[in-house]
Amino acid sequence: MNWLDRWIQNSSRTLAQNASRRSMIRKLGTVLVGASAVPLLPVARAADNTAPVSESGDPNSCDYWRYCGIDGFLCSCCGGTVNSCPPGTEMSPITWIGTCQNPEDGKNYIVSYNDCCGKSSCGNCLCTRNESDKPMYRPDAANDINWCLGTKSTIYNCSTAILVGVALEKRE
Amino acid sequence: MNTGRILVMACLFWTTVTAAFTAETLGRVEQLPSSYPDHWVIAHDAAFFHMLEGRMVVLDADAETAAQQFKGMVNSSFIGQFAQSVSRSEMYVAETFYSRGVRGERTDVVTIYDKATLAPVAEVILPGGKRSSSMPEKYALQLIDNERMLLVFNLTPATSVTVVDVAARKVLNEIPTPGCVLIYPTGKRGFSSLCSNGRFFGVVLDEDGEVVEKYRSEPFFDSNVDPLFEKPVIVDGVGYFQTFTGVVYPVDLSSTRPVVGDAWSLVGEADEGWRPGGWQLNAVNGSNLYILMHPEGYNGSHKDGGPEVWVFDLHSRQRRARIKLKTWGVSVMVTPDQKPLMVVTNAEMALDVYSATTGEYLRTLGPHAQETPFVVYQAN
Repeated sequence: MNWLDRWIQNSSRTLAQNASRRSMIRKLGTVLVGASAVPLLPVARAADNTAPVSESGDPNSCDYWRYCGIDGFLCSCCGGTVNSCPPGTEMSPITWIGTCQNPEDGKNYIVSYNDCCGKSSCGNCLCTRNESDKPMYRPDAANDINWCLGTKSTIYNCSTAILVGVALEKRE
Repeated sequence: MNTGRILVMACLFWTTVTAAFTAETLGRVEQLPSSYPDHWVIAHDAAFFHMLEGRMVVLDADAETAAQQFKGMVNSSFIGQFAQSVSRSEMYVAETFYSRGVRGERTDVVTIYDKATLAPVAEVILPGGKRSSSMPEKYALQLIDNERMLLVFNLTPATSVTVVDVAARKVLNEIPTPGCVLIYPTGKRGFSSLCSNGRFFGVVLDEDGEVVEKYRSEPFFDSNVDPLFEKPVIVDGVGYFQTFTGVVYPVDLSSTRPVVGDAWSLVGEADEGWRPGGWQLNAVNGSNLYILMHPEGYNGSHKDGGPEVWVFDLHSRQRRARIKLKTWGVSVMVTPDQKPLMVVTNAEMALDVYSATTGEYLRTLGPHAQETPFVVYQAN
């Protein structure tokens, strides 16, 4: 039995039933404001592709493949979807990006974690995964920043995970 | 029984009751000392699930009961940032308000609290609606120039620093810091910021907050290879920055420009897989660095926290102790005295108190109403 299993046994059993081991650590650990910034990113836009992405998994689960770098409340649990905002909120036009591998096709996709703004914290489905996250001196990869920027209100509600391109290689 | 007899009896009864005790004074409000005891701490509850209601809670980490521990609080609206002055016995909270709660006109403000009364005594409006909105960061709000100037980090995402003469309660200047973030006090009256290309950008200020010198250092780390945590501990003018894999860069911040010293590692050959990590992952007492460590580190584990706190002597660069935590830790702080306490924000968001010298678990603070105390500050 490793350290992680021992720790989980001493922690909330309810949470342990509902999340993977590592995602639970992240849930119980630091929770950070998710994010977003599309216009300046040097990535191929998903709109250039014609075929939808083949994918599997539950967008309401923190283990969903697109959430590898997310940090915040999942919009799909908040009245929105994985790539749309809840009613009455405003999507931030500025964001940070992650690179996540789709287990269905093995490709690495560039994911834009746009925040939805103008209402207070949704509070559902908190998900903190920090793959390739970096401190805020790398804002292109930083999920500690409240990315409700460029919106009428900077109040953070939830985070989306929008596919905007295919990465040539995995970003570390 | 007629009406007259009833009135007489009522008056007798009233006289009897009022004579039995001395009425208490209405309107009393408690005060705290202007300088707090060393074992008091200030917990920043960012209230992640309702961020408009963040707060700074003053707690006595020595006290056994939740009621005795809780000394008072000030508010900190929408993931505010915190600093405090020793010379003026004041607290500063940089916070954000909207005129209709979550919408309407935005106002950013530094609210100034008296530490004894915990009442707001002044405020400085921050122009432009630029205050950085991020998770609590010690280096987003810093005092320099013998605590005369308060520096506020801005991010829109264009980055800059607003200079406030906090003694005079007025804004002096705004300094762009393109591509560089946060505030590391440097020299007599200046600061450095960390840049995406692994350099420091810095400025020297005059008495009016005007820039008299700018510089960019040589690159000293590569964020694509081994990112630097933006959270150094600073001891005697030297900032000790750690990387995700445990390399320590000592940076002399005492003169005009930062000087990067020889790097060393927290992790020895026998510690393969161990990495530093957490939210406020480190703390310091004297020359002792306390840092949260976790085994089996991986890409993305840098904010997970850890099951142990390792203690290093910053001068000898030797590990002095490994403290195994009762509950997985996410943030750590240590009081400044000779018999220090270590307060760990654990993974369930409770505050565990340990002896920082022996590592013995002493107590868990609360239960209090606080929910997400991401950063805990020293008393003064």
